[in-house]
Amino acid sequence: MAAVATQHDHAHVETHDESHAHDHAHHSVSFIRKYIFSTDHKTIAKQFLTTSMFFLLVGGAFALFIRWQLAYPGEPIPLVGKWLPDSLVSNGAVQPGFYTQLVTMHATIMIFFVIIPMATGAFANFCIPLMIGTDDMAMPTVNMVSFWLVPIAGLTIMSGFFVEGGTAAAGWTNYPPLSASGTGHMLWVIGVFLVGFSSILGGMNYLATTLNKRAKGMRMFDMPLTVWALFITSILQVLGTPVLASAMSLLFVDQVFHAGIFIPENLLTPNGGLYPSGANVGAGGGGQPVLWQHLFWFYSHPAVYIMIVPIMGVVSDVLATFARKAIFGYKAMVFAIMAIAFLGFVVWGHHMFLSGMSPLLGTTFMLSTIVIAVPSSIKIFNWLGTVWKGNIHFTTPNLNALGFISTFVCGGLSGVFMAIGPIDVYIHDTYFIVAHIHYVLFGGSLFGIFAGMYYWYPKMFGKMYNETLGKFHFFLTFITFNLCFFPMHMIGVGGHMRRIYDPYVYEFLKPFQPINQFITIFAIAMGFSQLILIFNLLWSLKFGRKAPRNPWRANTLEWAAPGHPGHGNFDRDITVYRGPYEFASPESKRDYLPQWIRPAHIEQETSVAEKH
Amino acid sequence: MFDFSWNMLTYFPPGISTYSEAHDDLFRLVYWISAAIFVLVQLTLVVFIFRYRARPGHKSIYYHGNNVVEFVWTLAPTVLFAGLGLYSDEMWKVMKYSSRIPTPDMEIDVVGQAFNWHVRYPGGDGILGKRHARYRSAQNLFGIDPTDSHGKDDIVMTGEFNLPINKNVVVHLSSVDVLHSYFLPNFRIKQDAVPGSWIEVWHNGTKSGKYELACAELCGSGHYAMRAVLNMQADADFAKWMDGKITAKKAVLAAEAANPQPVAPAPAEAAAPAGEHHGSSH
Repeated sequence: MAAVATQHDHAHVETHDESHAHDHAHHSVSFIRKYIFSTDHKTIAKQFLTTSMFFLLVGGAFALFIRWQLAYPGEPIPLVGKWLPDSLVSNGAVQPGFYTQLVTMHATIMIFFVIIPMATGAFANFCIPLMIGTDDMAMPTVNMVSFWLVPIAGLTIMSGFFVEGGTAAAGWTNYPPLSASGTGHMLWVIGVFLVGFSSILGGMNYLATTLNKRAKGMRMFDMPLTVWALFITSILQVLGTPVLASAMSLLFVDQVFHAGIFIPENLLTPNGGLYPSGANVGAGGGGQPVLWQHLFWFYSHPAVYIMIVPIMGVVSDVLATFARKAIFGYKAMVFAIMAIAFLGFVVWGHHMFLSGMSPLLGTTFMLSTIVIAVPSSIKIFNWLGTVWKGNIHFTTPNLNALGFISTFVCGGLSGVFMAIGPIDVYIHDTYFIVAHIHYVLFGGSLFGIFAGMYYWYPKMFGKMYNETLGKFHFFLTFITFNLCFFPMHMIGVGGHMRRIYDPYVYEFLKPFQPINQFITIFAIAMGFSQLILIFNLLWSLKFGRKAPRNPWRANTLEWAAPGHPGHGNFDRDITVYRGPYEFASPESKRDYLPQWIRPAHIEQETSVAEKH
Repeated sequence: MFDFSWNMLTYFPPGISTYSEAHDDLFRLVYWISAAIFVLVQLTLVVFIFRYRARPGHKSIYYHGNNVVEFVWTLAPTVLFAGLGLYSDEMWKVMKYSSRIPTPDMEIDVVGQAFNWHVRYPGGDGILGKRHARYRSAQNLFGIDPTDSHGKDDIVMTGEFNLPINKNVVVHLSSVDVLHSYFLPNFRIKQDAVPGSWIEVWHNGTKSGKYELACAELCGSGHYAMRAVLNMQADADFAKWMDGKITAKKAVLAAEAANPQPVAPAPAEAAAPAGEHHGSSH
């Protein structure tokens, strides 16, 4: 009885608070509360989006510096070279030390500050509450903190450029002993720890929201695949990221207190002295660098799925909407995501075939890794099944979604090569891997992110983007992307190592310079094509046509909200009556049937919804 | 103009080890399977995009999927990919399992140091002296045990080394500072050099000539230039080269013996229990 009474009291207090907050919202929400320290999930989504877009430009610029050096080693970087300080460039040309910083920061930024915040920050924030028909996240303040950790972490890592010795330069995998000294590496560790914290806070919030705040009538299997994908990704984030955090903490202890966790006994420093390490104090013992690799990849392999799984959900929704057809095998898609997520935790060793771990473990990891191709194939086949006998509209989001499928097939298949141990021995740390990761993370994740950005742009900003510019952007990116990254497979098979400042000190790599130049030309073209996207997003914000409530005639709940929903999202009570993909249903005269339309009033309610 | 082919199989550097051909065959197998799947899926996608494009009068069907189809396209890739994995495991065992390393004709030590490769030969007595990390210093990169007489005549080379063809060479690989990776593209072998561990790699080169040894693991700003040259020589040529090295080393040792310089062992060495010494001369 006491519990009930407490609950009742609590409910009362909450109601009071809510009405107060409501009052407040109408009268005096300061600029700072509304746009900067906002707790509205849509504003936070936009903050994640703009931050990631900013970092996308920085990371992209770094990539072009790298490409320039590989194509024209020792020649000044055009336009920007002369503006960079002498510690990084000589006569405008990239220095070897700067080059290793560039490869490190390019990957760090793209992974931790672009793809992850975009996929699990921007999309999860925007889509989850709207697609499950609720007003906000379960923990709005936690949500706000989760965003603000990202720019703080980003600045921490970027500040490495201004410290002695420069920023982190041990690759994004940050393997010790190389990463166990230097201020830049310390800042990197702190920054990644913070961004990991953001990930954990976001993940638990998404889990709580999805489990507790679904609209009336919405069962788990009524959720759109975007929400399912984000839900499962959140489990990955909550389980995996703490391991990354502990690895970061251990490395920090090595960097600051020289504990020798990852540092073996009697290690030399580059100037010939002994590495300061606790391992040198006692007789014998010493740390194990491979331990870092286990801890790091235990998170970072699932992280690959954190970057791709949400996007698979987004692509599924975009594809179904524009094929005007239900997802082929909805439950199979959900189970495939679960299988990918589960397997993602037992395959980290395929990054370590060459680390010196027991070859018996290599066999185990080889088999578990190659099995991931199965759920991935299921997803590809189901997407093909979805467009089969559909009525496909070639809008910009759909073009990007189809582009995603096309490139993901390539990225998935090149993954089979590295799953196979004896082949990985040869292609490991070559451009074959670089090609693979970009086919998955650029060709996969980024095309999917573009699809989602265009798809939800109307709901996010209340304006329609420019379709012509959008298509132009897609085709340019798709063509330049393939011409840039496909040849990397070839030089990879030729043995071209990654992360090398000047490949041409090797006789066997000299013939590849023309191919590197070819790649660079299309990398530059691809980079500048993104200006079209940015122009389109900004121009449409001001001059775009006002977005109707449901411009795509889609079925999911976010389209029940007003054209540009305010705080609280919905202007009506939402009840869910059916699954998210009732396209071309015989129950309706139209080719779609939204989740919230009451079964007895289908024609009337859908036509009312179409009018505003 | 340059030779450019969209067929990535044409890009392999010439393979010259006993397992390079088997490796390339396995690669080709995976390549052709992947290429077939790739073409099939992309073609299907393009055909669907064209056939089911939106146009006046065209409609999509109401269809949620088919469990029999799901079952088939779950089973098919499972059989294909698991089979491929099991099939490749044999090659993995050949390259990596210590039980499958053939009887060595020759054993050497290789250590990486930013940004150089150092190689140690057993010298005149044919036995590598014992080594341990506690003896390591900038002057003694291999940590050769000064009390082991087998170590005295060991020959150390930097940046360039020779090996005989058609011999099973077992390399004991380590690093003195950060991670490196021992990559011989023509041999199709790569192995990380991990400080604090000695890892065995084996290869058998079948063709004489100059080949490049690269570092494949980022090890600092000079990583790109961490290159060594491996001269593969016919047996007789190698023996002649080795004899020259042994004679030169003997002369150096004789000169040192005539003009002795006291080398005080570090304090830690005296306390070291003998059982912890690792030697590769088993």
